[in-house]
Amino acid sequence: MRVRAAVFAVALCAATFGAATAQQDSDLDRIPTMVQNGETPQLPADQSTAPTHGKYYLEDDLSLSASRGTLAVPLTSSSSSDWANATALDAVDQWTLAKDLTVNLSDRLAIGESEGVGFPSQAARNDLREAYISWEPAERFYLEAGRINLRNGIALGFNPTDFFKARSAVSQASLDPSAMRGNRLGTLMLRGQRIWDGGSLTIAYAPKLYDPAPLAGSSGFSLNFDHTNAADRVLVALNIDVEEFSPQFLVHHESGRTHFGFNVSHPIGQSIIAYAEWAGGVQPNAITDAIAFGKSVGTLPSFIPILRPANPARGFRNDFAAGASWTSIEKITVNLEYHFHQAGMSKQDWRNWFDVGALGPNQASEVWYVRGYVSDQQMPITQHQLFVRADAMDAFVEHLELGGFSLIDLEDGSALAQLYANYNVSDNWTVGTYVSAYLGGARSEWGSYSRTGSVIFQAARYF
Amino acid sequence: MKKKVFLNIAAVLLAALTILPAHAQTAQEILSASDKTRNPGQPFRLTNTLVEYIGGQPRDRVVLVVYAREDKQTHQFSNLVRYVEPSRDSGKMVLLNGSNMWFYDPSSKASVRISPQQRLMGQASDGDVVTANLSRDYTSKLAGTDKILDVDRQTRDCWHLDMAAASPEAIYSRVEYWVEKGTNRPVKGKFYSDSGRLLKIAYYHKYSEQLGGQRPGETIIIDAVDQNLVTTMTNSDWRPAEIPEAWFQRDYLPRLKVD
Repeated sequence: MRVRAAVFAVALCAATFGAATAQQDSDLDRIPTMVQNGETPQLPADQSTAPTHGKYYLEDDLSLSASRGTLAVPLTSSSSSDWANATALDAVDQWTLAKDLTVNLSDRLAIGESEGVGFPSQAARNDLREAYISWEPAERFYLEAGRINLRNGIALGFNPTDFFKARSAVSQASLDPSAMRGNRLGTLMLRGQRIWDGGSLTIAYAPKLYDPAPLAGSSGFSLNFDHTNAADRVLVALNIDVEEFSPQFLVHHESGRTHFGFNVSHPIGQSIIAYAEWAGGVQPNAITDAIAFGKSVGTLPSFIPILRPANPARGFRNDFAAGASWTSIEKITVNLEYHFHQAGMSKQDWRNWFDVGALGPNQASEVWYVRGYVSDQQMPITQHQLFVRADAMDAFVEHLELGGFSLIDLEDGSALAQLYANYNVSDNWTVGTYVSAYLGGARSEWGSYSRTGSVIFQAARYF
Repeated sequence: MKKKVFLNIAAVLLAALTILPAHAQTAQEILSASDKTRNPGQPFRLTNTLVEYIGGQPRDRVVLVVYAREDKQTHQFSNLVRYVEPSRDSGKMVLLNGSNMWFYDPSSKASVRISPQQRLMGQASDGDVVTANLSRDYTSKLAGTDKILDVDRQTRDCWHLDMAAASPEAIYSRVEYWVEKGTNRPVKGKFYSDSGRLLKIAYYHKYSEQLGGQRPGETIIIDAVDQNLVTTMTNSDWRPAEIPEAWFQRDYLPRLKVD
């Protein structure tokens, strides 16, 4: 009996060892032959001289769009083409002039083709996003001057504390707010920053250089300082490390208006980051603001406004974005955010907007002007909004990124939705597709647009 | 009779003392010793080149510069990772400082806070690239001693450690780890998810003298989920570096200059 047990035990051990060895061999067999042979192609040379070069790429976007037949509030000018193509050369780089002196440049040159667009004067456009010099006179103390894209904010869909976002948009394929932030004009400013153990302080001053340009007043090769530097502005931002909250406090002053801001974030477990962002200050509502701007630049006549806000009082108004991101083991990241823009349009404002806009062409022109102004400010038009975004890396196959986002107006349930797919064909080539839809009834925020949707095909070659 | 029994017991004890080592290493000590083999004891930077093979053929290359610094009190490493290649990712940065983790994209000027789970994104994830003291983040027990083949098909006599996550900074829920006796060199690791799923198998080899010790020059990561994927991770250009604590915060990410 004992002998049989011993034989069984030995056999079991041998089987286990054999299986383990076989398993290990199969692990090793998966190692590519060229690696086993030490052939390692494309292995780096000594990277001590590695060029930390900038980012240069050529991009082409072909977009096709569909329009609605009738609109609740007709557009007074409908020059938009159902197709468009844009080819852009994009460059971001940095050069070191001396040990503590660098020059930074970010530029995008685009040539567009579509129905009714003259070539080349109206078709070519250059956006000098950044051009500034940075000096580090003492360790981790920086003084900078030039056009700088200064942005703040922890949320993805709406950043109340991103005080320099107004009038900075540059046309691009994706409508994703987080992508749009990546491609915008900086502001001419002086900036100082000090970084110490566990914190930093930033002070920026942007002077007024020009009177503000009217909406859609940018020309092809203009530097557009009349968009980004049409008011004196000062920003102070303080970051400190407190436990794991990474709070940031901000004060921004512009044209007699002072706003305060706050950002905070915290991890929850292994997969979730919760975050919140707030800004507040005394300001008029969006309708009053838009009409005052339209009059000041001479776009709107003096007998305006016909559209009046439901709450015309000038008072302290809050902007708020709060949400969380969750990442799964399958490399899927989901963001869910709630946005509150107190200066935005309430339900009553929306009813007024549609009623006034339907009265005639002049009224339609005025109410659409309000929408255009708010869009130019990169603010939500509505008071309550939901933002959902999902992104899957290496979805189904390696190097395929699938995702989508939606901005949902909580006042009327309408939504802007976009799905996208990006595939890195190689280290240098990426192709992508964006499919967008404006969903909702005729008397809703997103359903009132002339477009019902669009498809964009994109190809990019990196250098 | 009693005297004979006493003598026998004494003889057995003596024999036992003779064959026992002066001090038996605990699993945690072995793990700690292997950490010292992998990680220099001073702040440093290195270049990490990842080559991804699909179906045995090289598909992509990513070049990163990693800055690492150990907190001598907590023994926790903080890391800054900067993308050099491919060009579409050039200049992107990742900060990993405990649970304070940020991703920075110079195009958008955006710093996005990332969760511990996001360290696992990518076949060779940020979690694999960065320097960490495993003995700080895991508790280990000795599962046995194994003779295993290394990448070069050489038999290595190894301690087999079974490790469980013991801190929020631990990237994997469970790790099996083989450390060569005598040299304390890691030879192989198997990394598991929370659900017990085997995610990756790593082999360490090409040891050479770097910054005062024998460090692995290459890690081969075999994806246990996708049978087609293998990634080589090559460390080069090890250099001592002066890395102040102030570097490990989000506002420093746009400021890091890689020379």
